[in-house]
Amino acid sequence: MIAYIIRRLLLFIPMAVGMVVVTFGLLLIIPGDPASVLLGQEASPEAIERLRDSLGLNDPWYVRLWDYFANLLSGDFGTSIFQNQPVATIILGRLGATLELAVAALVIATVLGLAMGVISAMRQGSIVDTVTMIFAQLGVSMPVYWLGLLLMLAFAVQLGWLPAIGRGPPLPEAFWAALTGKPQVLMDSLSHLLLPALALSAMPAAIISRLTRTSMLEMLREDFVRTAYAKGLRRPRVIIRHVLRNALLPVLSVIGLRFGMLLGGAVLTESIFAWPGLGQLTITAISQRDLPLIQGIVLTFALIFALVNLIVDLLYAAVDPRVRLG
Amino acid sequence: MKKLLLSTTALILAMAIGPALAQEEIVVGTDVDAGTLDARLTRDTTAYRVADLVYSGLVHITPKLEAVPDLVESWETPDPQTFVFKLREGLKFSDGTPLTADDVVYTYTTLLDPDFNAPMRTLYTPIKSVEKVDDLTVKFNLDTPYAPLLSYLDLGIVPQELAEGGQDLATQPVGAGPMKLASWNRGAEIVLEANPNYWAGAPKIEKVTLKIIPDNSARAQAFEAGDLDVIQSPLSPQDISRLAADDRFGNAIMPGLGVTYINFNTKDPLLADPKMRQAFAMLVDQQTIVGDIYQGVDEVATSVLLPSSWAYSPEIKQPTFNLEGAVALFNELGWTDSNGDGILDKDGKNLTVTLATHSEDPNRVQTVEFLQAMFSQAGVDAKTQITDWPSFSTNYVQKSQHQIALLGWLNLVDPDRLLFSQLTTGGSTNWGGYSNPKVDELLEKGRSSLDQKERAAAYQEAAKILAEELPYFIVSYQGYQLFYDKDFPSEVNATPRGYLRGLIGMETQ
Amino acid sequence: MRLPKPLRNPSFVIGAAITLFIVGCAVLAPYVAPYGVEQMDMRNRFAGPSLEHLLGTDNFGRDLWSRMVFGARISLIIAVVSVGGAALIGTVVGLVSGYFGGWVDLVLGRITDIFLGFPAIILALAIVAVLGPGIMNVSLALIVVFWTEYARVVRGAALVLREQNYVQAARALGASPLRIIFREILPNALGPIIVLASLGLGTAIISESALSFLGFGLPPPAPTWGWTLSYGTRFMRDEPWLAIVSGAAIMITVLGFNLLGDGLRDLLDPRQLSRGGGERRND
Repeated sequence: MIAYIIRRLLLFIPMAVGMVVVTFGLLLIIPGDPASVLLGQEASPEAIERLRDSLGLNDPWYVRLWDYFANLLSGDFGTSIFQNQPVATIILGRLGATLELAVAALVIATVLGLAMGVISAMRQGSIVDTVTMIFAQLGVSMPVYWLGLLLMLAFAVQLGWLPAIGRGPPLPEAFWAALTGKPQVLMDSLSHLLLPALALSAMPAAIISRLTRTSMLEMLREDFVRTAYAKGLRRPRVIIRHVLRNALLPVLSVIGLRFGMLLGGAVLTESIFAWPGLGQLTITAISQRDLPLIQGIVLTFALIFALVNLIVDLLYAAVDPRVRLG
Repeated sequence: MKKLLLSTTALILAMAIGPALAQEEIVVGTDVDAGTLDARLTRDTTAYRVADLVYSGLVHITPKLEAVPDLVESWETPDPQTFVFKLREGLKFSDGTPLTADDVVYTYTTLLDPDFNAPMRTLYTPIKSVEKVDDLTVKFNLDTPYAPLLSYLDLGIVPQELAEGGQDLATQPVGAGPMKLASWNRGAEIVLEANPNYWAGAPKIEKVTLKIIPDNSARAQAFEAGDLDVIQSPLSPQDISRLAADDRFGNAIMPGLGVTYINFNTKDPLLADPKMRQAFAMLVDQQTIVGDIYQGVDEVATSVLLPSSWAYSPEIKQPTFNLEGAVALFNELGWTDSNGDGILDKDGKNLTVTLATHSEDPNRVQTVEFLQAMFSQAGVDAKTQITDWPSFSTNYVQKSQHQIALLGWLNLVDPDRLLFSQLTTGGSTNWGGYSNPKVDELLEKGRSSLDQKERAAAYQEAAKILAEELPYFIVSYQGYQLFYDKDFPSEVNATPRGYLRGLIGMETQ
Repeated sequence: MRLPKPLRNPSFVIGAAITLFIVGCAVLAPYVAPYGVEQMDMRNRFAGPSLEHLLGTDNFGRDLWSRMVFGARISLIIAVVSVGGAALIGTVVGLVSGYFGGWVDLVLGRITDIFLGFPAIILALAIVAVLGPGIMNVSLALIVVFWTEYARVVRGAALVLREQNYVQAARALGASPLRIIFREILPNALGPIIVLASLGLGTAIISESALSFLGFGLPPPAPTWGWTLSYGTRFMRDEPWLAIVSGAAIMITVLGFNLLGDGLRDLLDPRQLSRGGGERRND
């Protein structure tokens, strides 16, 4: 087990190095100069050149790449050109917001998706099944930013039930506040979270519901389920003990995969709902050509991606004894 | 020898009206997060606005763009190349340490150091040196007479001791302004609180929160939903008309300090002839652009001089929209549709141009799209190029690779700021490569004369030439809009720069 | 008399009908569009649907139906080119990786990991910024983002197929690896590729519109759905029609491809792929 985890983490190293190199290469040829963006339109060409020198942007590319790796080895992710703060600090400051949004979306998607999937599988061919699956189809076909805008228009602007944009107090803090007698803080936090999380959850919810349904239907046909029925076990118990448990396996791996993608999908959702997370930071960093920050963000996403995959595989092994880690 | 001794009673009176009872706070929407809050290095609107509250400069610029004393009591100009400033007594930074002439000298000396890389350094380069006469007196020596200087001396004074002691003013600013930084949650909000050490006393508003909402429409929605007390330009035209009609909100709508303009690359063979530029300019239907795309929020421009400026003259006029006239002019220049394909040609080559702008501003994108259609109607094969700002600015316009580009300039507190670096021969931001010795001479005169009448005359003469030669075609004068909740806890005195002192009771009309 | 099998599958029928309609519109665009795609009428902006303008007009008074129809061309070209390219590259990498195994698999697997680890949007934005906007450049960006999916699925299929008796037999008979890969393995791996591709078309269309939405797509006046939607969101408060129509165009098209993909999956192999279907990326 430990050996497996170590092996997996070691495999992350070539991936991370590769991603740094690819990003570096792209940023090398990308048009646009951070020094010029930083100094603004009124800056003279000499001033821009001077800033490029001091940022090391005029060094040959191999020197810059070497420096980057050297710094990385000593735990230094560089300094943002625009915010003048360590990249690691900036990213850590944003990570919480994105994780909060992604986890919330995933929870909604899982609950909604499982419920819809189980119900349609149990009532295969009924109206409920058809309607649920139509919803699922619409969920995967809708551009996330369009859904986000429609939700915002309906619930924030027209009805005025929820705030249109922004983030309330961070959720963990808000929970604590609620426990210490300030439930309105929690309400504030949740009311901001609901719309973006809902928009972001549509796609995974649709996918999870379809997958749950398919995999439940497969299980219901299996011999051991029939046997359980034949032995006179009551229906809900069979469903929970035998069907759902086994049907969850493929769903689990998809939830894991989805989580990485949710973080990517958060880019659009965050920019619509002005959610101050990594996604918004990504757009800003690219639009400013803040090279060290873009590198840092790419590495962060890679790390999350690798970790989530590892966790999913470990969970998979835990749930299904047939799966061996090797 | 002009001696200015300005009373500050008006300012003090304004603040004395009604002592603050409860905690008064306002929430202001803004479009970008500040990059740095070091007053010498600010480069985005949010940072300017925060710095204006956190720091104080030698002077303060009023909504009418006049320089009035802030940290100084008075100033004099013994000769056109010398300014002597007398500081108020007992000035303190928000941390309680005294502000003296040393801090002023330090602020300007570092600003002028090329290695300090201050974005606005070019505005101050005519300053030769800044020296301390005594603790309360500072002397500015200029290389040449430089009339716009006073407009730029609202630059915030930073505390030398702290800055040299290693405090990072970019993230932990300390100044002598009416507010001080309470907290800064990157990407989300900047919170300021009243500074009791401000020389004129603490402002009535005790807390100002700037919430960062990048999308213009989203910001307007947050304001309508009551999440914000104030929003201001940049706003989407369609939101402005709706907000202006809503009686829950008060507004201040006035001419701004920016222009949207077309930059012609005069070095491009196709556009080298001023007549060609005139013909293209005649294809710009300003009425429709301003009326429909900008929904009347901006104003049709007539020349490089802003209507709010003392240099403005309604007599000076750029060419106006005239499709037939443009085609006739093209024909006159040898461009005719000789092969009947609907596109003008000359010597077997089609009349092809590229119209470019950046993708971040949807109104500019729409304007380019509209221009493209008008150009096609006149028989010009127009292509569009729309990329994000870094690709568009650094690698394209600023390298003079463009033909016709749609851009803007902001903060035009003085005509010099739109013209000198941009349109003098070899000017640092003369991307279109325009060169006319007569214009050079006039713009030089405009910045060096200290007599406003003389300056106005020089700028008007230059503007007349520019309206014919058209290195720039000014499409519109940008408007400035501010909306506030009717329950606003303070009097609202907006300034076209979007600064906020007028919202915390620190501005006099 | 019973209907042929494909026609008894509702997903397939509805999906095929929508797809045919959209493709038909795109191909016949000059004939079904009553107005010029760049024909402006500033006095008639944001007109609602009418007999003259089936879907109303946009922010320049241009006929929205005509623009949607021509926009379908751009969307479909980008979708087909990017999915075709991604499927081609992914399939080759997957086949080689799966068939040869060993260090080849290890190296190709790491390369795949690198591209998989990138958030799709960062990669696509950066590539479009480097290449500049254009139909082929946007397609290329999407190829770079999406090929990994095909590589993974095809590699999995190749791993299974190479152990099959007929492949072993071919190898024993001395067939070259190239011949085995393309004659024996590829035809048997085509099913999953086709299903993935039809589902990928929808994803590609959404991704293209997202790029346009962020200002990195084809520049106006190209009648892309993404830009129309992006403009539409600007006017959403007062003139929601523009955003609704363009968003719906995207959604219906994607729905068509998804249904078609689902139908194909049921028809081609009801079991083998049911798990792969969830692994689409869409951001």
